[in-house]
Amino acid sequence: MTFDVRYLHLAPFCFEIRTDINKVATNLQQIYGDLFSTTPGIPDYYLTLRSGSGLRKYLRPQARFLADQQEPFKPIDINNGFALLEWGMNWCIATSEMRFVIVHAAVLAKDGKAVLFPAPPGSGKSTLTAWLAFNGWRLLSDEMALVIPGTNQVIPFVRPICLKNQSIDLARNWFPQARFSTVAKNTHKGDVVHLSPPAQSWQQNTEPAKVVAIVFPKYQKAQPLEVTALNQAQAFMALAENAFNFSLAGSEGFHTIVQLVENCQNYEVTYADVAELAEFLEQDVLPYAHP
Amino acid sequence: MHIHNLIIQLFLGKVSGPIPLEDWADIVRILRDQQCLARVGWRLQRYGLGSTLPTFVQHHLKNAELIAQKQYHQVQYEAKLLQSLLQPLTTHLLFLKGAAYSLQDNADVGRGRTYSDIDLLVDKQSLPQIERELCLHGFFAEDLDEYDQKYYREWSHEIPPLRHGSRGTLLDVHHNLLPLMTGRAPDIQLFFSHTQQNSAGYTVFSPAAMLLHSAIHLMLSEEIKHGFRDLTDLYLIIEQYQNPDFWQELTALAIQTGFATELLLALRYNQKILFLPVPEHVIETLQPYKPGSLGMRLLDFIFMHKLMPQHPAFASSGDSLADFLLLLRGHYLKMPFWLLLKHLGRKAYRQILSAFFGSSVLDKNADQHNKK
Repeated sequence: MTFDVRYLHLAPFCFEIRTDINKVATNLQQIYGDLFSTTPGIPDYYLTLRSGSGLRKYLRPQARFLADQQEPFKPIDINNGFALLEWGMNWCIATSEMRFVIVHAAVLAKDGKAVLFPAPPGSGKSTLTAWLAFNGWRLLSDEMALVIPGTNQVIPFVRPICLKNQSIDLARNWFPQARFSTVAKNTHKGDVVHLSPPAQSWQQNTEPAKVVAIVFPKYQKAQPLEVTALNQAQAFMALAENAFNFSLAGSEGFHTIVQLVENCQNYEVTYADVAELAEFLEQDVLPYAHP
Repeated sequence: MHIHNLIIQLFLGKVSGPIPLEDWADIVRILRDQQCLARVGWRLQRYGLGSTLPTFVQHHLKNAELIAQKQYHQVQYEAKLLQSLLQPLTTHLLFLKGAAYSLQDNADVGRGRTYSDIDLLVDKQSLPQIERELCLHGFFAEDLDEYDQKYYREWSHEIPPLRHGSRGTLLDVHHNLLPLMTGRAPDIQLFFSHTQQNSAGYTVFSPAAMLLHSAIHLMLSEEIKHGFRDLTDLYLIIEQYQNPDFWQELTALAIQTGFATELLLALRYNQKILFLPVPEHVIETLQPYKPGSLGMRLLDFIFMHKLMPQHPAFASSGDSLADFLLLLRGHYLKMPFWLLLKHLGRKAYRQILSAFFGSSVLDKNADQHNKK
């Protein structure tokens, strides 16, 4: 079996990618464009997405993810291979990269000021992320915020936005010109599509930004925008819950989270209309922040 | 091979010239897979080479160091808990292998050492109470099929591995160092008289017994995944603790417990691969236990492959033959012949199943897991 060797240059990391699954390769091209190429780099991680062996090739064929020699996940339906690769990349970073405090959060910036959106699945975070990224904000991260310890600085790790279930059609209607991956059906997150952010986000994918606000979004149908300012203790607890490697980074991780919360405006926001939330951020939060 | 030699030179702090970044990428990859990245990072720091390395290398060494540090702290916590739970139930409670390296005061072998489970050695008769107590505190055996259950209960030297329900800590509770059915399991009391307590009150083997256990484990394995790491374990213990008493205790214990050949082999490959100096009289004492020349050549072939910093992406010719011979030898040494046939037959059947239907056919949870 032949595996083409390609490189995925995703600042600040480089992945070597091998796959024998066509659909994975075409999705990689669709989402990452030129960043997925034969131009060699110095790989930080070696990823393989391969079809299953034996009868599995023909009967309910499967895709397997390997991080070098490790296989952290169970095989998945071959049509969902690209989603498996995306999650595998997250896994590599979350389990290996200890020099950042990694928060499970989206990060978007406008005018050099970044907002951190930590949120559990189902809070509408990715829909919000997609909307902002296509309406004048720069995407730094959809799922993992890489915070430099001891600072408010976030390093971009630009990746596609992971849309689930109903938000897929919503995003397709909003941005018909955008680059979408194929649908991964019936995954543990439901139906999933990855959406490539606009060119601006990719072009600036090595420019860090300072976090000025932490916003915990909560989508609630047909509700007016409701903003609650969080005190620092509340914000700390909520943020720490979303920190991947909080315990790994030890006291450094703790101090970083404390400092973030102390230097940011912290809000919990219930919203039904993303435009209304964006307006609040642009008019009432960013102008008063001094990075 | 070029990359293998570079890695050995790095471990020994004897790098002759600058290393190109492409080679560094390979080195980091191999060491990460060998679970040896943090260890080599620590060695390089000790040689004062840490800050001269390319950013790419420093980045990955730091990652590995932080992960190892975390495990070091975690094991202190687990050890405290296990000690308080189990101490009242057993006369002997020893931490073995990786956990022991971490717990031993200032042990070089513990620096940057990572491991996937905590190994304990206890009195056999106290196993039922220990298992019950651990179960009450969240450690449960994983789902095993009947064959594996029977294997553990009748033939093994440990109870089935336990996993903590929320923390995920893996625990191996042993009552001997080798499976009983091998006929090689030593009188464990002989080992119990070579122990020491660290400053926090945890019991581990004395350096000599620790080395012997490590050597036995490595030289009798039927599968070696982290050969280079295991080889450097031995190297580091000897480098730090060797003195005339150490060598005396080591050779006497090895001969007394019937593991002189394993010790001889462990020292031999440390000499051959890592250039470890071994006193002449030690070699002489072990000489009568040296395998015949044909056997020796076979063993050299196997272990000079398996104890190198190996990685499938850098496989050399002979690697897979060495794997096969190792498997055969390991089973042959550890199992009575009739049992070996039965066991291999069973494993072959499972391998055929998975070759035919894919590797997840034997995984009971595969389907549920995917639906979750």
